[in-house]
Amino acid sequence: MISVFRFFIFAVPVSLLSFLYFFINDNDYYPGADFTVSEMPAFELNALYDNSIISNSDLKGSYLINVWASWCITCRIEHGFLVRLDAQNIPIVGLNYKDDKDDAIEWLSKYKDPYGLIIHDFSGSLALDMGVTGAPETFLVKDGKIIAHFSGEVNKRIWSDLFVPVIKKEKVKWNDQI
Amino acid sequence: MLVQIAHFLSILSTGLFFTTFLLSFLLDNKDRNITKLISRIYSHGFLLLFVSFLIYVFLALNDSFNVLYIAQHSNSLLPNFYKITSIWSAHEGSMYLWIVFLCLWGFLYSYFVSPEDELKAKALGIISLIAVGFLSFLLFTSNPFETILPVAPIDGADINPVLQDPALAIHPPTLYLGYVGFVIAFANAISFLLNGDNKIKWEDSVRIWSISAWVFLTVGIALGSWWAYYELGWGGYWFWDPVENVALMPWLAATAFIHSLSVSSKSKLLRIWTILLSIMVFSLSLFGAFIVRSGIIDSVHSFANDPERGLYLLSFAGILVVLSLAVFSYRLPSLISNKNIVSFSKESFISINNIIFGTLIFSTMLGILYPLIYEYLYLQKISVGAPYYNAIFVPSTILASLFLFFSVDAKWQRTYKVINTHSAMLLSGILSLLITVLVMFFSKISSLWILISLFTGLLVIIRYIFVIVNFLVNKKYSNPYSIAAHIGLGMLIVSIALNSEFSSERAININLKGKDTYKGYEVSFDNLELIKMSNHDSVKASFVFSDSKGKRFILSPEKRKYFTRGQITTETAIYVTPLKDIYITLGDQLEDGSWIVNIQFNYFIRWVWLSAILMALAGSFLAFSLRRVD
Repeated sequence: MISVFRFFIFAVPVSLLSFLYFFINDNDYYPGADFTVSEMPAFELNALYDNSIISNSDLKGSYLINVWASWCITCRIEHGFLVRLDAQNIPIVGLNYKDDKDDAIEWLSKYKDPYGLIIHDFSGSLALDMGVTGAPETFLVKDGKIIAHFSGEVNKRIWSDLFVPVIKKEKVKWNDQI
Repeated sequence: MLVQIAHFLSILSTGLFFTTFLLSFLLDNKDRNITKLISRIYSHGFLLLFVSFLIYVFLALNDSFNVLYIAQHSNSLLPNFYKITSIWSAHEGSMYLWIVFLCLWGFLYSYFVSPEDELKAKALGIISLIAVGFLSFLLFTSNPFETILPVAPIDGADINPVLQDPALAIHPPTLYLGYVGFVIAFANAISFLLNGDNKIKWEDSVRIWSISAWVFLTVGIALGSWWAYYELGWGGYWFWDPVENVALMPWLAATAFIHSLSVSSKSKLLRIWTILLSIMVFSLSLFGAFIVRSGIIDSVHSFANDPERGLYLLSFAGILVVLSLAVFSYRLPSLISNKNIVSFSKESFISINNIIFGTLIFSTMLGILYPLIYEYLYLQKISVGAPYYNAIFVPSTILASLFLFFSVDAKWQRTYKVINTHSAMLLSGILSLLITVLVMFFSKISSLWILISLFTGLLVIIRYIFVIVNFLVNKKYSNPYSIAAHIGLGMLIVSIALNSEFSSERAININLKGKDTYKGYEVSFDNLELIKMSNHDSVKASFVFSDSKGKRFILSPEKRKYFTRGQITTETAIYVTPLKDIYITLGDQLEDGSWIVNIQFNYFIRWVWLSAILMALAGSFLAFSLRRVD
């Protein structure tokens, strides 16, 4: 009788704990990540610095789009890593999201500018079409298709766990114009 | 600089707690001077941690945005009140507060309990070990002291607008005090098991601590329910949200625990139950922390998700649970009492209560985990909702209340005749039936479950009113705390039953200056104004309600847009009467210019919280009375 009781008081919590252990160790467990492939939406918006018009035809090949704003504190934390990516010649298009133009320019002059091209999306229309829910978010685009999307701060761990495998698998060739 | 000092102090306190743990296990516990030493080291550890927390509060008040966490969750425009509460508005800070509270309970225990208590030294050692576990979690995976270097941002990102509410100041702290308060009972139970002397009455010394923690947990849950009602615009008191459920499980276990405790402290019966329940309450608190912090379940309470945090908490909780069960299982043979429980004695009813509560805990756990198991196996998300929980909780609660009804006059360790023509029992049965039939007749309730619930709720209330009458007339002593708490339970059942029967809602489509009617009230959309505030824009609508008797009142729900996060919130407007709330939320504006407005009539909803408050009050008076005995 005692041994049956003993067995049960161990078996129930131990099986519960091991299930939860397997569950959170599952490789897909990255809440902000989305790998469904979707079209890059069509847009026509101004560039941040010189107000020139940017549209889909200016963006060819593979590149990253990073959604940021000067009011976003997490972007400030993520920024250092983006500067490092830029140093490795990875093209990053900045999508300046619901931000004041002068604030954004001042912010970049203070913290360095890792972006090859910056779209000023004041109303958030392109961001809305892309399914942005906040800043920062990062998209990997290959030939007009979004192939990876991460909501939240991209850092070394997220980059090597989520982006690098997709880059290798899809044989991404970076656009060297941006 | 200050933040580094705070950080350093918390590391030092971790060291002191670890020392407490080592000494309590290495040195002789029977020597009261050693117990004094251990309790001093513990108190100093707590002091350092407390100072570190005070520095953190000071930093938050002074807008030290070089601290990452403060920069992410506070803002220079916030009133001082919210600058402080913003500390526990997200993961790192609330974990910090959780640990401070954990150590505070330990400190109070070490201060008030005499060093003569043989279990004290080891109990403090176990509390310290848990503190070390959580502090390492804080320092390694969720460091609130991290700074932004070299340039601090000019301003912070602001607190989530939903949390800009006075309830934030009390709901999380009260709940945390409840969760971690059971550490005293847990540590004493383990200390008792390790000690091996069955004569020690550990149950007596933890009663006051456990009942106080239970009061905090009850109030914390009730506050959360009330907050969700008026701030989140959910319009009800309970939603079976996973995070509500992980708070409910420790509450159920704790309720069973304090009942079981009252048996074990009088006779030594139900000792195994009591020890197992004390381990269960604390493990379920840890499990709750794991569910909420790991983000494996979607809920309103989701914190920043990080698999590493989940893994740490899971391993920590796992080690603690397995070790305590191992000690328990080792000592199990010596705990088995050779006395049998007399049928129809108070003990027998409390063991039935334990079984029913155990079933409820197990079912709730299943409801939380089933979606996870399903997702793991079939890669699809499903959710388990109210129908499942209602199907289990309604009959179990009715059953438990019926047992309660029959147990009111039961005696300790003696049998009594359950079925007799005992006048109080018979009369309360007849009265409850009469009231139920009258309610059914006048309001045409057709649902059988509602009627049965109403009947059992009334049965409990009226039965205890007879006990009070008996006390006043015949001076027959009864436990006043038990009477109050159980009348609270009866009221809770009655108000939940009536609430689910009578409440109704309707979404109406209304133009400015337009009119509509709902449930005998004429509703006219009187005014709409735009208000600009320092940190948000607001659309404020005014609705005039008037009933046939000419009574009028105005309700003004709002929709707000906060600048810093761009978040839109709805502010409900509620008209409170003793029997019902008229609850109105402003929805979206349609293209033709009309507005969607949701009107709810929530019956007896105040009584739900009032019942919880009554139970909590009963508990707090009981705790005070126990203090006097000490």
